[in-house]
Amino acid sequence: MSEAIISEIKLANAAELDLFLSEESQQRIMSADERDTLQEMMNIAFGRAAASLAEVISIFVSLSVPCVQLLKGEKLTVYLEQMVGPGPEISIVEERFYGKMEGSAFLVFPADAGGQLVPLFGDEETLYEGEAREEVERDALLTTGGILIGACVGKLAELLGDQVSYSPAKLVAKTQGKAIPAALCNPDAVAIVLKTDFSFREESVQGFLFLVTSQESIGWLKEALAGFLSQYEG
Amino acid sequence: MEGLPAQILEIVDLGVVVLDTEFRVCYWNRWMAFHSGIAAEAITGTPIFESYPKLNTPEFLRGARMSLTFGSPAVFPQSLHHYLFPFKVVGTPNGMFDLMQQHCTSAPLREPDGEIGHLLITVQDVTERAISQQRLRELNIRDQLTGAYNRRYLDHRLPDECKRHDRHHRSLSVIMIDIDFFKKVNDQHGHEAGDKVLSQVAGKLMATVRKTDCLVRYGGEEFCCILPETPLENACVLADRFRTSVERLAIAAGSTELRVTISLGVAQLRPEDTHATLLKRADEGLYDAKQSGRNRVIART
Amino acid sequence: MAKKLQTVLIVDDSPISRKMLKSCFPKEREFQFHEAGDGLQALNLYRELKPDLVTLDLTMPVMDGFTALAEIRAFDPEAMVIVCTADVQDKSLQEVTDKGAFMILAKPPSKGSVLEALTRVEESA
Repeated sequence: MSEAIISEIKLANAAELDLFLSEESQQRIMSADERDTLQEMMNIAFGRAAASLAEVISIFVSLSVPCVQLLKGEKLTVYLEQMVGPGPEISIVEERFYGKMEGSAFLVFPADAGGQLVPLFGDEETLYEGEAREEVERDALLTTGGILIGACVGKLAELLGDQVSYSPAKLVAKTQGKAIPAALCNPDAVAIVLKTDFSFREESVQGFLFLVTSQESIGWLKEALAGFLSQYEG
Repeated sequence: MEGLPAQILEIVDLGVVVLDTEFRVCYWNRWMAFHSGIAAEAITGTPIFESYPKLNTPEFLRGARMSLTFGSPAVFPQSLHHYLFPFKVVGTPNGMFDLMQQHCTSAPLREPDGEIGHLLITVQDVTERAISQQRLRELNIRDQLTGAYNRRYLDHRLPDECKRHDRHHRSLSVIMIDIDFFKKVNDQHGHEAGDKVLSQVAGKLMATVRKTDCLVRYGGEEFCCILPETPLENACVLADRFRTSVERLAIAAGSTELRVTISLGVAQLRPEDTHATLLKRADEGLYDAKQSGRNRVIART
Repeated sequence: MAKKLQTVLIVDDSPISRKMLKSCFPKEREFQFHEAGDGLQALNLYRELKPDLVTLDLTMPVMDGFTALAEIRAFDPEAMVIVCTADVQDKSLQEVTDKGAFMILAKPPSKGSVLEALTRVEESA
């Protein structure tokens, strides 16, 4: 899955499939300037998250320009399938966040990522004792997922002047599809999609992160963006 | 802390600890006092690492920093940490864990101005859950008769081991083992005697392997042994030890004493191997051992 | 005598980001701003204009900031480049310092951080 999952080609495909809202309806929800600002803020937030992550866990996150797209809630599952492509098994970690900005963060990893993350938690041989391999790998993935999501969402919220709390990370799927909670698939929900690459030691574990927020949060988000931009007016 | 919340915190079946940003204890509920044997008055105000120096590890600090610098919760699952606080198991010894298995979490506590001033840690006793999970796992992966791992377990474990050893460029070997003339034992002495032979041979093999090795009942009277971090040469030494120890084994079946021998094939993982080709090579070695007279070890390089 | 900066080339793929940065330059001074949306444009504009100062983003399409920095410094070893980035991981900072960036300005920029950067640049000349 590695490269395919985050390739621009897939994004182009997604556009062809009419997954994203039309420019016109995107404009109604958020102006192009607002989307650009959000993208820039995500960029800044993730940069800070990546730098602070070094103190917490030995992961170097290579940063790609986050992509901000507004997606119909009902198209989320199709979008996810498009992103991942057919074939590879994936693991999806979900963490809900609550604040003025509310929604879910999804982290999509290759299915075998858990095994590669286990060494971050200590000696592999010792951890695998007692034949709890599956559990150990699942918890390594959940813990790392929670750290990455917490860092990225936390820094974005901080930059926007919000404080969020979280529900515990959970593994929502080990294959594709059915990963998106039904509540978020309603036609009113809007997904903000962004991607970022993770690399782990020499072996590269890559995945992407996307946030789904509700329509209500978007109202607040627009205010926060305006507040942020006002420092730079005139 | 006062009022109803304070009462609740003192009676819940959950360890609750609050630390300040310097990791000094600000709150230590009754549950913690009971299991640690340290009273709240004694530990409050002191750095937690004074009482629990082993907590000062990258694994704990990672979660604590997550909460203190990112304001996000962190989980310390039992599977990865076993416990944060070394407390004795409550009740009778369980034969599996000496220390209480814990599921712990940490979360930030904010001051009125929004700054993170404290760290909340919760400690849940999950020893019983860990024991029953472990038992279930054992049931799922063990062969009932012999106590060796079952075939399904091999199907999961061997591909994983192959990938892991290939990734780290380490040697991995397997031994295929078959009891010679087992059909004859069954025919002449009955199935009960046959079962006895199977379990005694398996018992002998399991007593001979190292802790990291893994003995599997492959099917019928055939066994397979996975040897992590082991080059072919050492695998052959172990295989021959298997052979001699089984040869010397006297198995009581009713009034008679049975003796059996085993044939063995050994192979080592090559870079181009899959788990299937590795097993196939060991199996070819076993075939050769049978063909050339049984009760011997043949390595396929 | 410290050199007064006049022409500034702002390189960033995000128009909002360029606008934010420009607005942080002191109003009372008359800067001449030029803008580029990727590394290649930046390199071409640098050759043409020889600006007094370049502010350079790192993550950009076509040619990223790391490459653009190396190319600009190869063309003009005296080039004054400030890297303005959100990527503040030690590993990235080390890399741009090695490639000859004068300093790093963490995003988002502020009037204060830009003024401080300008002062450092002008005092170094």
